[in-house]
Amino acid sequence: MATEENLSREDFDRQAELYGIIGEPAYLDELYAQVRGIHIMAKTIKNIDVSGVEPDMAFIPPTD
Amino acid sequence: MDTLEICYMSAGALSKLVESKEVSPVEIIDAHLSRIDATEPVLNSFITLLADASQIAARQAEKDIQAGRYKGPLHGIPVGLKDLYNTAGVRTTSGSKIFDTFIPMEDCTVAEKFQQAGAILLGKLNMHPFAYGPTGENLDYGHMHNPWNPEKITGGSSGGSGSAAAAGQCTITTGSDTGGSIRIPAALCGIVGLKPTYGLVSRWGLTALSWSLDHPGPMVRTVEDAAITMNVIAGHDPKDVASAKVAIPDYTSALTGDVRGLRIGMPKEYFEAPLDPQVRKAVQDAVSLLESMGAEVKEVSFPMFNESQAISSTVLMSEASAFHRDLLEKDGHQLYEPVRQRLEAGLFISAADYLRAQQARTLLDQEGRRLLDDVDLLAGPTEPVTAPEILAPRVLAGEQEIGVVGALTQYTRPYNINGFPAISVPCGFSSAGMPIGLQLAGKPFDELTVLRAAHAYEQATDWHTRRPPL
Repeated sequence: MATEENLSREDFDRQAELYGIIGEPAYLDELYAQVRGIHIMAKTIKNIDVSGVEPDMAFIPPTD
Repeated sequence: MDTLEICYMSAGALSKLVESKEVSPVEIIDAHLSRIDATEPVLNSFITLLADASQIAARQAEKDIQAGRYKGPLHGIPVGLKDLYNTAGVRTTSGSKIFDTFIPMEDCTVAEKFQQAGAILLGKLNMHPFAYGPTGENLDYGHMHNPWNPEKITGGSSGGSGSAAAAGQCTITTGSDTGGSIRIPAALCGIVGLKPTYGLVSRWGLTALSWSLDHPGPMVRTVEDAAITMNVIAGHDPKDVASAKVAIPDYTSALTGDVRGLRIGMPKEYFEAPLDPQVRKAVQDAVSLLESMGAEVKEVSFPMFNESQAISSTVLMSEASAFHRDLLEKDGHQLYEPVRQRLEAGLFISAADYLRAQQARTLLDQEGRRLLDDVDLLAGPTEPVTAPEILAPRVLAGEQEIGVVGALTQYTRPYNINGFPAISVPCGFSSAGMPIGLQLAGKPFDELTVLRAAHAYEQATDWHTRRPPL
C-alpha cells in the first residue's frame, strides 16, 4: 500500500493508474511529493500507541 | 446616521435601533450596498451579490416592523453566507466554477433559520474552492484580499466571510470549519469566529468537506453578535444525522463581563511550536489580562497536540476524497489544481491508516476531556503568524520557516478532531498592523463559558473597535 514503508515512484505510478489519475509529468511529480507527505503522516500515527482503543468517532453528540 | 457607522455597528446595537424604528432595514441594506460598492473591487468578498433581492427584502422587513411584526434581533440585519450554504433559488458554487450555475431547490437549515429570524441575505461569500484550503486563494472567482492589507491572504477557507465582516460589508457572516476555516480567517482579518461544538449547528444543506470534522458557525465583529447568531442557528435538526439533541440556552446570558473563578489552562506545547514572537506576546498579554480580571491561569500539558496535524489530515483527506470521488472522476480536470491534488492524494490513504487515525483521534479526545476536568478553558494563539502574502508557499514563524498550510492549521485542528467549541477573538496587532487572534476552547456544548471569557476579554480591550484602512 502507498502508506507503507518506502513508496517508490514505480509503485506510485502503478497506483495512480489504478485510481484513474492522469496528468502532466510535473503535476504527477507534485502529487507524488504530496503522497510521500501522507506516508510521513502515516508513520507519525503508527508511532502512537493505540492498543485497546477502538476506532470509533472521537466525538459523538448525545442523543435522547 | 452616517452610512459607515451603520456598516460597522454590531447586530446587537443595530437591532435596538431597528426595533425602536430609529433605523430602517432599508437604510441598513442601502448602507451596506454602498460599502460593498466601495470596497469590493479591492476585497472580492462576494461570489454572488443579491443587491435587488436584499432591497426588496428590506422593504418588506420595514413594512413588517412598522406593522408591529418585529421578529427579533436579526430582523432586518444583513447576513452573508459562505457559498457552500445551499440557498433556494440562489446559486451556490462551493467556490468552484464547476458549480457556477448550480441553483439549489432548498435552503440549508441555517439559511432557513436566518430567514425565519428576519435576517436579510445580502449575498454569497467567496471561499477557498470546496473549502479545501486555509488561505482564501481562488483562481475561479479571484483571490480574497485581507482588508488590513490587500496583498495578504484573508485566511480560509471562509475568506470572503472574514473580509466581509471585517470591512463592514455584512453585519453577520457564516463560515464552515473543518480544520480551522472559521477561526483562521477570523484571526487573520481581526474578527470573532466561533466554531461551535460538533453537532450543535446543522450541517444539512452545506457542501461537505469531511463529514466528521465539518462545523458551521458564525463569523462576526463582536462576541455578542456570535451569541445572538447562535441563538438563531443552534439546535437539533433531524435532517442532519450528526445533529445533537441538547438544550439550547440563551447564549447572550453568558455575556456578563465576569471571569472571576474561571480556570484557564495554557498548553505548554502551544508555545513550543513555531510561533511569531509578536503573536506569542499578544496572546500571553491577553491571558494575563484575563488573570488580572479574576481568572485562574495555569500551564497544562496537551501532548497529543503534536500529533493533531497527522490525525486531522489523515481523517480529512480520506473523507474529502470519498465525498468528492465522483466529481474527481467526472470533472477532476476542471478543479482548482491544488484542490484536485489534495483530493487525489487522499485516494492513497489506506482504510487501515484511516482507522488508525480514528483510533488516535479517540486518544486525543480523551486527553482533551481530561484536561478540561481540571480547567474550564484552554487558551492559546489561533494562528502562529499574522496573514502571509497571497500565494506565499511558506511563512516565517519565529525562527522557523514552515509551510503555510501547516502553519495556519497548527492550533485549530485539535478542536475539529475532538469537536470541542473554540472561538477566535482579536487580541492585538503586529507592528505591521495585521490582526492577531486569541483562541479559547471549552468543554463540549459549553459555548456559554467560551463566550463568557471571550466577551469579558473583548470588553476589557479595544481591538474589536479598530477598523481596517479602507
